[in-house]
Amino acid sequence: MNSLQEFAPVVLFSVVALLFTLAPIVIAYILAPRTKGARTLDTYECGIEPYGSAWIRYGMHYYIYALIFIAFDVDVLYLFPVALNYAKGERPEEFYALLCFVLILALAIFYAWGKGVFTWKRKFSQ
Amino acid sequence: MEKVLDLARANSLWPMTFGLACCAIEMMSASMARFDIARFGAEVFRPSPRQSDLMIVSGTVTKKMAPVLITLYEQMPAPKWVIAMGNCAISGGPFVFEGQYNVIEGVDLLVPVDVYVPGCPPRPEALLEGLMKLEEKITGKRRFPGPEERW
Amino acid sequence: MVGKIKTELGAALGNIEIGEVNYRERGYHLCCEVDSGEIVKVARFFDERGFYLAAEICVDYKEYLELVYIFGNHAALCRVKVALKVDPAKPVVPTISTVFDCAYWYEREIREFFGVTFEGHPNMTYLFLHEGIDYYPLRKGQVQVSAEDKKSLGSFQPEGAEDTFCINLGPQHPSTHGVLRVVLKMDGEYIEEAEPVLGYLHRMHEKMAENRGYLQFHANTGRMDYLGAMAFNLGYVTAVERMCGIAVPDRANYVRVIATELNRLSSHLMWLGAYLADLGALTPFLYVFDDREQINDILEPVTGSRLTYAYFRFGGLYNDVDEAFVAATKAFVERMKSRFVLYEKLVTGNVIFINRTRGIGVITKERARKQAVSGPVLRAAGIAMDMRKTEPCAAYGAMDFDVPVGTRGDALDIYHVRIKEMENAVRIIEQALAGLPEGPVMAEKVPKKLKPPKGDIYHTVETPRGELGIYIVSDESDTPYRMKWRVPSFSNLMVFPELAKGNLLADTVAILGALDLVIPEIDR
Repeated sequence: MNSLQEFAPVVLFSVVALLFTLAPIVIAYILAPRTKGARTLDTYECGIEPYGSAWIRYGMHYYIYALIFIAFDVDVLYLFPVALNYAKGERPEEFYALLCFVLILALAIFYAWGKGVFTWKRKFSQ
Repeated sequence: MEKVLDLARANSLWPMTFGLACCAIEMMSASMARFDIARFGAEVFRPSPRQSDLMIVSGTVTKKMAPVLITLYEQMPAPKWVIAMGNCAISGGPFVFEGQYNVIEGVDLLVPVDVYVPGCPPRPEALLEGLMKLEEKITGKRRFPGPEERW
Repeated sequence: MVGKIKTELGAALGNIEIGEVNYRERGYHLCCEVDSGEIVKVARFFDERGFYLAAEICVDYKEYLELVYIFGNHAALCRVKVALKVDPAKPVVPTISTVFDCAYWYEREIREFFGVTFEGHPNMTYLFLHEGIDYYPLRKGQVQVSAEDKKSLGSFQPEGAEDTFCINLGPQHPSTHGVLRVVLKMDGEYIEEAEPVLGYLHRMHEKMAENRGYLQFHANTGRMDYLGAMAFNLGYVTAVERMCGIAVPDRANYVRVIATELNRLSSHLMWLGAYLADLGALTPFLYVFDDREQINDILEPVTGSRLTYAYFRFGGLYNDVDEAFVAATKAFVERMKSRFVLYEKLVTGNVIFINRTRGIGVITKERARKQAVSGPVLRAAGIAMDMRKTEPCAAYGAMDFDVPVGTRGDALDIYHVRIKEMENAVRIIEQALAGLPEGPVMAEKVPKKLKPPKGDIYHTVETPRGELGIYIVSDESDTPYRMKWRVPSFSNLMVFPELAKGNLLADTVAILGALDLVIPEIDR
């Protein structure tokens, strides 16, 4: 039962977080007056009716950013246990090992930088 | 309970940037360092109607612009208020003449208006007085005495 | 230059008579009348010699419609008026938008206001007006818009290809330029096409001019460009005085210069604050309004208003300036010099600002000429033309100031040109204050109801945005017959679609801000 008690703060934390997000929505729903016009639930586009649909093919540049994000998301996953044990670090070798790990992953950013992913070309030919 | 809510709403009116013509410059002046509108809680001029509750119509409304104005008004969530700033928003202003074809004579033909601030363009102090009148309309009493009561 | 053009044009056109005109009274040097078959040839003639199309105006003389083309030159002051008579029952004219790109919008405007069809024009849809207006507004009688006209005018549809989507940079957006709507066809973050839609603030100034007396219309001039209202006042008042031959006393001229330059400072300061706010720097906006409030405090006791001035009168001023004005202006000028140092430190060397404006929206000299760009945008492209030096009115001829010119034509150059113009404005104010003569401020015996002699005039003045051209046709009554305002923001905006193509959306805002548009003057 000891391990279950260790999870009690986590459960409390998640419940309070959920309350913090839901409470303003519920309070606003109860307290605010209602209004509805013909255009109330339309997409906002500077006052004009939007043309076309939003389901279109997006450009390639956004895709590359998403790829880099995924890579670093996995990196963060690996670093979760590190974060838990960080305060208990006894030997300095642990730090250098982890630094190597992070630097190897950072090579990906340097490669992307060199390839020009972060600079978007300004002018197409007219 | 309603009183607390009204007080909260009146002291933090968030205007929407709806500057159409010359009055927009005076509205901007009212939000700058000299005639500070931030002391009354109305500093954040939101560009999006979804996050604002006060629409200050400053400038002439033409027939081409009218559907846009109505759409933006409807996209604002309740409770919402409208200040008609300047002569053009009140009744068409100096642009009403015999045979005119494009100016809407007053924004209250399109949306319900709470406070009218006359002038061409009104001074920023006049806009602040309009804001005080709107607060009085919401809460029932003024934040500090108006010009008539002071002397 | 004038004689050379006269002989060459005479040779090119053959038997058409080219009249030499009194420039003092009319504002142009030569005038001639051509047929509609010749107009494209005439346009090519002027294009080859480096002229630009300053204005294309239509006047409704009830038996015929007259199209007036005014060609000007950047290098020397030489203006030619070419007139074209059109039959009102069947008004069809070939387009010159293939030769001069700025005619693209000039002709669209004439189409919807007068009903003149231009053959060969690629796009004849509504620019200012909308469905629901059944008569051509500026025609003298009530001429109904025919059904096929309405259909062709109202046929603007934003189509999209497969990978693009259309988004509105709509009439209500936080950049403080007014109600401009740009329909952007975008491919991801890049812009393929930008099409401005105007007319959301069309307040019928030109129609009001035909219904009001000359002095009654004076109040409208301040509302057209509310940031540079004194320059519009100056242009209008000087144009009418030139038509009537009224001489203005010296003191009034000097005060006019001081007031106009103070207004120019105020307008450029506002541009600076708004442009930097568009780019994301919100601090200079506050500093700029501090200076503007000082200028308002100086001008308000004299003119009576903070923003939309209607100060000058025909023949001078109605209200003389006093010692307090002179002292306050002197103190302001001293303070302004230290403020320039402040702006220099705050903005000019800022790396983010430079990276966002260098190389953005490059305008070449040739494009600037074809699109009739004027003002600081033209000077940043490399052409040194300033109406205060080319055609000085009031006391500008006695002032000594530079015309700053840029090299690359991008947004950073436009910024530097405007900063130097502000410094020159301070110089002019100092000189005018030092040389302010004593004397009356109003000419003698100016009639209350002005009745200018029959004829027309094209007068230009330099507003903070560029070359403002006022074309007045008078028929000896006390209301103008036709008044056309050739506003600088209109032609400056025409260059925007080609600059925006291929750029990122964020750069589009940078370009739009650098052009310094004031929408009420475009929509008139």
